[in-house]
Amino acid sequence: MSRRLRGEEMSRKAILVSPELCIGCRGCQTACKVWNQLPAEKTKNTGSTENPPDLSAGVYNKIHYIEVPSESGAVRWLFVSQRCMHCDDAGCMKICPAPGALYKTKEGATAFNKDKCIGCKLCVAGCPFDVPRYDAKDKISKCNLCADRIAEGLSPACAKTCPTGALKYGDRDALISEAKRLGYAKLYGEADLGGLGSLFAFRDSPKLYGMNEKPAIPETLVFWHNVLKPVAKWGLGGAVAASLLHYVAFGPKKGDGGDE
Amino acid sequence: MATMVKKANAFEILNHWVTAISFFVLAATGFAFLFQLEQMNAVFGNFNQMKIVHNYTGLVFTVSLFLSLFSYLPVALAVSGDDIEWLLKGGGYFSKKAVVPPQGKINTGQKGYYLFLVLTGSAISVSGFYIWLLPGIRKWILLSHLAHNIAFDLMLIAIPLHIYLATLANPGTLRIMLTGSVPLEWARKRHAKWIREMGL
Repeated sequence: MSRRLRGEEMSRKAILVSPELCIGCRGCQTACKVWNQLPAEKTKNTGSTENPPDLSAGVYNKIHYIEVPSESGAVRWLFVSQRCMHCDDAGCMKICPAPGALYKTKEGATAFNKDKCIGCKLCVAGCPFDVPRYDAKDKISKCNLCADRIAEGLSPACAKTCPTGALKYGDRDALISEAKRLGYAKLYGEADLGGLGSLFAFRDSPKLYGMNEKPAIPETLVFWHNVLKPVAKWGLGGAVAASLLHYVAFGPKKGDGGDE
Repeated sequence: MATMVKKANAFEILNHWVTAISFFVLAATGFAFLFQLEQMNAVFGNFNQMKIVHNYTGLVFTVSLFLSLFSYLPVALAVSGDDIEWLLKGGGYFSKKAVVPPQGKINTGQKGYYLFLVLTGSAISVSGFYIWLLPGIRKWILLSHLAHNIAFDLMLIAIPLHIYLATLANPGTLRIMLTGSVPLEWARKRHAKWIREMGL
């Protein structure tokens, strides 16, 4: 199932997000900022308790507040953790031209190295989930699943802090079986993009939670990777080979040495 | 000493090599971005610096391509029945005794190559500047990325053919882009219409 982690399948980690357990306390947002030393930023009242309004270079995760009206009149609150999905087949990594700027940790996290990032912002276009952001120095900033913590066997700061178990970190396979046991037939992210590292236990259709039903790497990017990249190599080689072949078969234009 | 005729002026020669060298730098760095070739760090130090070189060389390439329009676009667009016939005969490149119709200052193949270069060069320039200067609208960045890479692929196929045709395949051609002059008889054989127009 997981191509990049073949042979290390058992070590792939994930975060299981259960919106039904979330109370919207946003402790995860604070814990993330503390551990990753991210600055607070100015925000404004948008008429919602949701705050800040969007992911940014200083906001790696946030709770998205959704109000669903119902016939009985009571509003149903949905709290969905927004963060990097740590796709196995990551669009950001596919399009990135700078080696080492984005990389996979042995736990399956999609981590980044600001020193290697060249600030081209192509990863923003390659991501199916609108996750990557750029800091003031034009370097990529996003959730890295607390790569430094999980490398030491610790939980990511957000999951460590979560008081209700709405964010659960662990072996990906174990989290999936546990959710199945609790009655979730299919988790969001179970199979998409080679399997996501952020899994979501949704009671209803993903759309209700503001998620794309069929997340995928942009088609142009797939075409580029599967066709245009090989053509660059073989086209160049083929043109050189064809030239030499033509020279052998037909030779130079006759009588054109020129100075006769 | 054979009588010589001037086929390219100093500006055309200089601009040709500006285009050629900038293309070579862009292609090499572009190839390194495409396949994440870290070996390129031996030349540029790191990918950050290579990006700067790639972007500004792109500016040089674009200006150079634009300037070439004044030299070649009018002649490249002046097509006639002779060009059709030239094409039907494959430019005489696939037979040892084919006779092709008389040609103007540049032949049909050269016209086609130039127009091809204007199209792919414009596509790669516009898309390159868009990615460089206006990241933000995902749909347009993806489209630019696609256009940039399609144009690059086409150029990687066409430029080796251009180099082959200007050197090994047609001895005596390269000097046009070195000294600018060719022997009158050489030119008469290959660019009969042009020589006639000049009354030589």
